[in-house]
Amino acid sequence: MILRRVIAELRAMPKFIYVLAAIAAFGIGVGLYRMAVGLGPTTNLTDESPWGIWISFDLATVALSGGAFTLAALVYVFQFDSLHAAVRPTVLAGLLGYSSVLVILLFDLGRWDRFYNVFLHPNFSSALLEVSWCIAAYSTILIYEFSPVLLQNSRLKWLLPTIKKYLIPLVIVGVTLSTMHQSSLGTLFVIMSPRVHPLWYSMLLPVFFLVSSLAAGISMVIAGATVSYWLFGRSLKIKTLSQLSWFLPWILGFYLVLKFGELIIANELDLLTEGGRYTALFWTELIIGAAIPIMLFAMKQVRTSRAASLFGASLVLGGVILNRFDVTWFGMKASGASYTPHWMEVALLVGVLSGVVLVYSLIARYFPVYEETYAVERAAKAAPAPALDGARPAEA
Amino acid sequence: MAHEITAPHYGFLIDASLCIDCRTCMVSCSVENNVSMDTTRIWIEETGVTGTFPDLKRYTVPYHCMHCVDPSCASACTVGALHRNEEGIVTYDKDICIGCRYCMYACPFEVPNYEWEATLPLVVKCDMCAARLDEGQQPACATTCPTGAIRFGLYEDMLAEAHRMINENPGKYVNHVYGEEENGGTATLYISPVPFEELGFPIAGTSSPAYSNRLVTEGTPLVAGAMLVGLSGAYLTIKHLKEEAAAERREAEHAHAGEDHE
Repeated sequence: MILRRVIAELRAMPKFIYVLAAIAAFGIGVGLYRMAVGLGPTTNLTDESPWGIWISFDLATVALSGGAFTLAALVYVFQFDSLHAAVRPTVLAGLLGYSSVLVILLFDLGRWDRFYNVFLHPNFSSALLEVSWCIAAYSTILIYEFSPVLLQNSRLKWLLPTIKKYLIPLVIVGVTLSTMHQSSLGTLFVIMSPRVHPLWYSMLLPVFFLVSSLAAGISMVIAGATVSYWLFGRSLKIKTLSQLSWFLPWILGFYLVLKFGELIIANELDLLTEGGRYTALFWTELIIGAAIPIMLFAMKQVRTSRAASLFGASLVLGGVILNRFDVTWFGMKASGASYTPHWMEVALLVGVLSGVVLVYSLIARYFPVYEETYAVERAAKAAPAPALDGARPAEA
Repeated sequence: MAHEITAPHYGFLIDASLCIDCRTCMVSCSVENNVSMDTTRIWIEETGVTGTFPDLKRYTVPYHCMHCVDPSCASACTVGALHRNEEGIVTYDKDICIGCRYCMYACPFEVPNYEWEATLPLVVKCDMCAARLDEGQQPACATTCPTGAIRFGLYEDMLAEAHRMINENPGKYVNHVYGEEENGGTATLYISPVPFEELGFPIAGTSSPAYSNRLVTEGTPLVAGAMLVGLSGAYLTIKHLKEEAAAERREAEHAHAGEDHE
């Protein structure tokens, strides 16, 4: 009986779910092979480039997951009630982003068999310790923040009032933890002054990382909501989105002032016109990722259009991703051979990413992630997903 | 947390003019530490062949951990597996290391290497043959070097000797003891007849990046505390203002309703 229902459910699943599952399974397979044979045969990492595409991915993903704390701060602490509907999908995206980072990190650690030493033997002057503690603690808080969505229609419903009671203090701790680890990911590179190219190196790296993660987080909410509108016909109101994107020109403008101000103070302006790979990367990052989006989101027509908002948000995301890759990889001066990732490194990454999209899709299908639901004509014509009925406006 | 920086107890003095590239130091390091020749903790840096025929020159020099007085690796290490002990030796605890490889990027001298081919790899780094020192012996590389290019002794003596060699042999060495100032000072000191850049040595500043790192990481708990207080304050203030506004609105409506009744 149950089996028959499961089979029926699986049959009703859209095709892309199966594609994602296959890619994820392959990626995890590659990961297990890496565990069995070590880093040498499965990666192109060397003594000159001991960190590769996995670390770049981790940093970009954490920045993109910044929406969860940005929104939690806006809605719960500063009480912009109108943004409430954006909290659930963003917290879910953040939770999955952090989970993928933790999975990748486990594959990246040479001695993954004793990762727990992070807790047993902490070195408090290490930025990486701060990052790992904050991410571990914050992921737990994200699970807490998201748990009402999973429990709401279950037998554990009676837990909801208790969960709600302690939500605000935990959100405040969560926002603090996020601020700490978003910035300390930048601190990681403060100790690498001989290695990181001066266009990116700065004592202000923690501040750069924090500010850009705010922009990336908001952009991620916009992009996620828009894509979900097209894929599932469920999304946030355009009014909610335009309220959020209103913040972007301010944040990005502040970021530009910081970046160029730092170069002026460090007397490194000549690097901007030096030409070559580094200069090109730096300008690409700031023009595509900040200057153009500032102009776009300053316009009301852009903020109130789903397509234009998605375009602008994608530019911001591209800029922030490129920034993290520049700091960790392209702008890192390797003394010896340059690094290009092994195909297995890429396969594991793509696999984990597919897994994340898969889990997000499934949760969005079965749980009331989007409180404001739109029955788009397209979605209404197709077989309606069961969760559509389950979606209802509810308390956090 | 004040960070106390003490002068090293022991020191190396390595003379690039005496190295003949025989690699005895590498063999003895491999035997002492029971590792293959590919993963020794000491290796050879060189200038490559320079000059025009027939005046060709090639300088080589052994290279291993500098044992900084303020080591970036120890400051960076997530789990404190790298540590500078009372004798100024930067030691590595292979039983704690989680393999994050942050030390490899943090070290300005690019010293820590990694056992890439091992299933459960460890970091490879000179520990000044601490076990031999305990038995009153010198490090393996210094003991076996046939030309005396690697000398080992008390740090003060090595530093004085480096300056004596430069002063008493005018023109033989460049006037620079590499490691005296580099990265805030190191227990390994070098003298060389050619500029150190030509040997492939990194140009290091006179203070350790570990210092900048501590500035930021030690301030973190303070920032976190301030944020917790600030956010709680913001939450309570805004909540209070909103409740007041709502109460006023209710009162106004009430008064309004009252007027309607009259």
